[in-house]
Order: sequence, then C-alpha cells, then structure tokens
Amino acid sequence: MAELLQFTITGIAVGMVYALIALGFVLIWKSSGVANLALGQIVLLSSWFTYAMLVQAEFPLWLAFLLVILFALGLGWMIERFALRPLIAQPILALITVTLGIGYFIEGVVIFIWPWSVDALPRLFPREVLHIGPAVVSQEYVWVVGICLLVFALLTLFFRYHKMGIAMRATADDQMAVQACGIPVTTVFSRSWMFACVVAAIGGILISSIGGITQGLIETGLKAFSVVILGGLDSFLGAIVAGPIIGLAESLGGGYLTPYLWAGVKDIIPFIIIIIVMIIKPYGLFGEVRIERI
Amino acid sequence: MLKLNNIEVTYLNVIRVLHGVSLSVEDGAIVTLLGANGAGKSTTLKAISGLLHIEEGEVTDGTIEWNGERIDKKSAEEIGKLGIIQALEGRRVFGHLTAEENLMVGAYHRSDHRAVKRDLEMVYHYFPRLKMLRHNIAGYLSGGEQQMLVIGRAMMAAPKLMMLDEPSLGLAPLLVEEIYDIINRFNIEQKTSVLLVEQNVRIALSIAHYGYVMENGRIVLDGSAEFLKNNEDVKEFYMGLSAMGAKKSYREVKHYKRRKRWL
Repeated sequence: MAELLQFTITGIAVGMVYALIALGFVLIWKSSGVANLALGQIVLLSSWFTYAMLVQAEFPLWLAFLLVILFALGLGWMIERFALRPLIAQPILALITVTLGIGYFIEGVVIFIWPWSVDALPRLFPREVLHIGPAVVSQEYVWVVGICLLVFALLTLFFRYHKMGIAMRATADDQMAVQACGIPVTTVFSRSWMFACVVAAIGGILISSIGGITQGLIETGLKAFSVVILGGLDSFLGAIVAGPIIGLAESLGGGYLTPYLWAGVKDIIPFIIIIIVMIIKPYGLFGEVRIERI
Repeated sequence: MLKLNNIEVTYLNVIRVLHGVSLSVEDGAIVTLLGANGAGKSTTLKAISGLLHIEEGEVTDGTIEWNGERIDKKSAEEIGKLGIIQALEGRRVFGHLTAEENLMVGAYHRSDHRAVKRDLEMVYHYFPRLKMLRHNIAGYLSGGEQQMLVIGRAMMAAPKLMMLDEPSLGLAPLLVEEIYDIINRFNIEQKTSVLLVEQNVRIALSIAHYGYVMENGRIVLDGSAEFLKNNEDVKEFYMGLSAMGAKKSYREVKHYKRRKRWL
C-alpha cells in the first residue's frame, strides 16, 4: 500500500514535468505546424545553463532563475529567427528536419562546454520527507507539482485573456486571416518558440533538480512526445492530462515490473503507450476535432 | 484617399494577372469592384492590403498610394497599421475562438483599451446577433453569422478603409440585404471608406457611390453607381436584363452575341 502511494506520487510529479515540456511542443505545433524535435536537447541545454549559473557562477537562486528564463527566451528567439524564419513558405518537412539538426547542434555544444556530462544541481527544494498516510515522500515532489500547476495556470490565463495569446490561437486556425488583421505571423511564431523554450527550461530545472543532469535528459524530450501523442498534438488540456498518465504508467510499471523483468523496463513503457495510442486513437485523447459545418 | 496607378501584378514571377489597373477610392466613399470569377478583383484587394507577398505575388509595375504615400512595397502589417483592413473572401473566422475573441483579434494593434471597448459595443450595436452569440465558438456559427463576424472583426481595427471581399457569397438574399444595410450604415455613420468586391452587381450598386468593372485583369468600365446601373452592357452581362429591362431569355440570343467584347 505504502509502495503504491509512493509510486503514484512520484509518477504524477514526474508526469507533470513531462506535461510541462510537452506544452513546449504543443505551443509550436499549434501556432506554426512545426514539430519541434529539438525539445529534449533544449531541456538538456537549459539544465546545464542552470548548473552554470548556480554552481559555476554561484549566483543566488533568484538571479540564476531569472537568467535561465532570459536565456531560454533568447534561445527560442534565436532558433526561430535564424533557423526557421528563412525557411518560411518551404515544405513543413524541411522545417521539422531543421529542428532535428538544431537538436544535434545543441547536443554538440553541451558536450563541448560540459564534457563530464553528468552532474547534480544543488538542492532547490527542501528535502525533508513528508508522511502521507503510510507513504514516505520527498517534499520536492510536492514542490514540483505545485510549480507545474502554477505554470499551467499562467499559460491558461495567457491564452484566454492576453491579446498575444488569443492571436497565437488565431494563428493556429488561419494564418492568412491573421495577417489580414495586420498581425505579423512571424512575431507569433517567434513568441511561441520563446515560450516553448521557457516551459522546457522550467521543466528541465525541475526534473534535473530531482534526478541530476545527465545525457538522459534528452529522453525526456522523447517522453514529452509520447505525452503529446497520447494527449493530442494540438491540445494543451491533452498534454496536462496525458503527462501524469505517462508518468504514472512509467513509475508504476517500473516499480512493479522491474523485479520480474529487467532494470530498464520503465523507460520503454511510454513508447509502448505511444504505439497502442497510434493504433487505437491516432489523434490522441484530446486531439482537436476539425470544426466542419455541414 | 487610395489611388492605384496602372498596377501590374505577377504571381511567381511568371503569371501576370493584372495588366494595368487604375482606380481610386475617395475618403468616405463606397466603391465597388465588379466582375466575373478570375477577373482579378481579389488580387487587386490583396495588392492593396499587402497580402500578395504571402502568395508569392508581387506588384511589378505601377504604384499604390494612400494619402499620397506609396504603400505597394509595405508589408501587410504596416498597411494594416495605416488603417487599411481587408476582410478575406469566404468567411475566414478563427474557428476555435469564441465570437468575441475573434473580434478582439481584429483590435490587436490598438492599445487604447477604452476605445477598443467602445468599438466592441459599436460592433454589437451594428450586429446585435453577435452580442447574443459572443461566447459561442465561431466555427459553429451559421454562414451569415460568420460573415457578420468577419466584417465586425474588420470594424474592430478602426479602419479608415475597409475592403470587403464578396460579403454576399453563399448567403440567403434576405441576409445579404441585412448585411449590406449594415455596411451602408457603418459607412455613413463612421465615415469609413469601403472598397467592395462583389459578383452580386445589383446589391453592390445599391449602396456604392462609384463602381469599376473588371475583366481579365483590366478595368473595362467605370462610372457612378447610377451610370453603371443604367448602362446597357452592365445590365445585359451582369444583371441579366435585356435593353427593355425585362428578364432576358437566353433562348432568344444568338450564342455568339452573348459575350461582350470590350476592346
């Protein structure tokens, strides 16, 4: 029982982080139709940048966090401005391939700057354990869940009420009509990349504060894909719901199956889920239904 | 005042679709651009609003002037900020946004919240039905409501020149009259110039002050609405009336006479 509760809580916490990173994917997909395959590498790079700020430069936490956010904004802006904008009006496959290239580029940069490739972030959250019923849970999971919920709430408000948020959703519907309203879609694309990088960076900080920084962070990008595919490529709600599902499947499956199977079984569970979802519900749980009046 | 001087438009550097179009829209006037499918009406509008660049089209010759300033090299965004707003053909609402959010996208560039709020009320005043539907998802509105929404969205930009591309397309005659009535009132009350592209000649000439007839990328005829309404050629080829004003029977016309040669 205690075990079950513990797996559940860690599963949900990790799943929320996946959901956060997945939001970065959905943002870009929704506004510009580009699948960002560099997501995992962006997570990795921003985690290392956090490390550089906190450990190498020894900045206080608030300053480091601020700089990481600025760094992520800049990264998103640069990727859009220099890699993707020259390719506007080219086939979408070309743009997606470019993001793949950006991913490898970032990976190379990371290995170049931080060649030891494994390290730990200093503790960001108190680690005193919490006793929830019979289970013993590290307090940081609760913090992670809280921060994720806060970011979700902020993003939801932004998309509902801010005019840039509304313009982003409008761009997802009809780019031409958005331009007819005098809104430059390039700005919309640029903002969505910046936002995506910020949520990926926050996700990266959270996940590496728990598990340390490793090359394995790139895989969180892949797990975010499974979240996105389960939830629906263009659905924020889908990502938020599917994240914890993937997290739970991973943690419960990993927790209970590892003794009987092999140690890495946890890592393939999300991908098994992807395959099953692709067969049964190819648009995902909440994939946007195209509104078609007849 | 908008002035087009002998413009040529070429798509993809190869396909020339406008061969020297000149027209002007006086401040506060309703000007209509008439013609059959493929005459180049929409292309003319897109050349003005700057949306041509998106479709790999380009103004290769001639000039477009807005109050004496050349705008044919400007981007859609800059032209929009000047107050020239185009409502695209085919009721292109943002399907997953609510009606009110659609309207707010139109006001994207404006920072004066109070004026935006006032204009929102103004749009609801012109289109009371939109007020009732404001929290509905735009994709599920009826065709007429979507057309109202698209026009309302253009109004929200506080345009100095509003360009409407076939607002009557695919709508019931009663609804068309309602919408045209509102466009007319909007023009009179807000002093906004309107450039109207239409295939429905009768309804367009009922509110327009001046009109141009396009064919094959050229303007072949222009004049005041009164003049065009009484012009035999317009009557015959665009309104389907014979010289006597009676409904025409195509059985009586010799096939080779049906097509007017303008030049």
